Amino acid sequence: MAAADSPSAALRRRDLCSRGIRLAGKMRSDVIDLLDTYVERQGLDASTSVATVEGVPVAAVEHWDEQTGTQRLLENLAAYRAFRVLLAQMLEEHREQLGEADTTLGRALAAVLLQVSAFAYHLEELLRLESRGPPSEEGADPPSVPHLGLFERKLRGLGVLRELAQWAVRSSRDLRQLTKPSPGSSSAPSWAESP
Amino acid sequence: DSHIQYERVGADVTMKCGSMDWDSAVTWTANGTDIDESHLNGSYLILKNVDLTQSGQYSCYEGSSWHLKYQTYLRVGIPPKEPVLMCRSNNYPKGFYCSWHLPTPTYIPNSFNISVIHGTKEMVCEKDIYPKNRCHIRYLQLFSTVKYKVTLTVTNALGKNSTTLTFDEVAIVKPDPPESVVAKPVPNNPRRLEVSWQNPSSWPDPESFPLKFFLRYRPLILDQWQHVELSDGTSHTITDAYAGKEYIIQVAAKDNDIGTWSDWSVAVHATPWTEEPKHLTTEAQIT
Repeated sequence: MAAADSPSAALRRRDLCSRGIRLAGKMRSDVIDLLDTYVERQGLDASTSVATVEGVPVAAVEHWDEQTGTQRLLENLAAYRAFRVLLAQMLEEHREQLGEADTTLGRALAAVLLQVSAFAYHLEELLRLESRGPPSEEGADPPSVPHLGLFERKLRGLGVLRELAQWAVRSSRDLRQLTKPSPGSSSAPSWAESP
Repeated sequence: DSHIQYERVGADVTMKCGSMDWDSAVTWTANGTDIDESHLNGSYLILKNVDLTQSGQYSCYEGSSWHLKYQTYLRVGIPPKEPVLMCRSNNYPKGFYCSWHLPTPTYIPNSFNISVIHGTKEMVCEKDIYPKNRCHIRYLQLFSTVKYKVTLTVTNALGKNSTTLTFDEVAIVKPDPPESVVAKPVPNNPRRLEVSWQNPSSWPDPESFPLKFFLRYRPLILDQWQHVELSDGTSHTITDAYAGKEYIIQVAAKDNDIGTWSDWSVAVHATPWTEEPKHLTTEAQIT
């Protein structure tokens, strides 16, 4: 494995960050469109308040500016791996509920799921550039699907998508932080230190 | 003894001359001027349907000794109407500020109390020294989906009123306009103008939170603006200016991802480069 600070690793890192920022921007835009479709198709009100949803990674963070590069990547990766499972569950429930009747929402969900998977892979690549690599997913229990009525499931889905939209904003900010040079260094940022 | 008395516009006010009996002989003055006896009921002063001009110092003197028996400062005013409250983040991600004012004056002193709640947490809004109807909050969390609830209560001696704003972190993000906008002609290019500007100095971290810009320009002689949206950089060359016409140019800014556009910057004027008119020669000079 190339040394984390070698010039080629630094270039690869910069390239991955730039592409990641673009991916996050596109993902956010598509999640916002999906939210509109979801609210409309599920007969919900866009201003409906949803309490914190169990099992959904929360984007809100304190002392965000003090996080190290590694922390940012690990938190992002854990979040998108969780969203991958949550969106797959939503898609499954949607298909069970409506079969092939409503393809618009189904297609939009599937498209965002694909982007979330791609972004998770992107983050894994960034972590591979560090000597520790990404944490393994093997052995991790999938989050249990709570038994909810139809309306509760719709609200849960709304909560999932809103939090995902927030994560997409946070991710592009996190990746921009990663491209900033750390104080005192002339080239690549050192992710072990606070950026 | 002297004190302040607040009354509503239109109220009927009765003033007692301290501990003097109703049938005591007294003289009332308003700002040193004797008040006509027709306003008295015994030793009580009756002011009906008071208006703002009746604010002032009212004194009551015992008839023969001219001893001061009572003094009050009457302030006529109105209870506060619902205040106007605005919250905005021009320095994201550091925090936001809220500012307020009353739509109409009350003519008497008011006090303001602001409360900011984020989820279950009460946050402190630190009052600015100037302007005094403003306070600011530091974000403790970023990227939260939980809304902020800001309640402003205004109180005076005649009543109180309040208003509440509820918003999420990103909805109130609005940068200040770009600064130092400069527009210059481009030598030997009669249709170009070079425009440059700077990020607003209040925006703390343009590297991590880059701004995009909207430029608008028109010749002074026309009303229709042309617009250009620019996703990066702080300069742009206009290439379709009308030759020789003076232009007015403005720039606005917005965070790349969230919030709303700033107000337009201060307008700058520029005229594209024009060739110097050649010196006219006469036929005699040519031959």
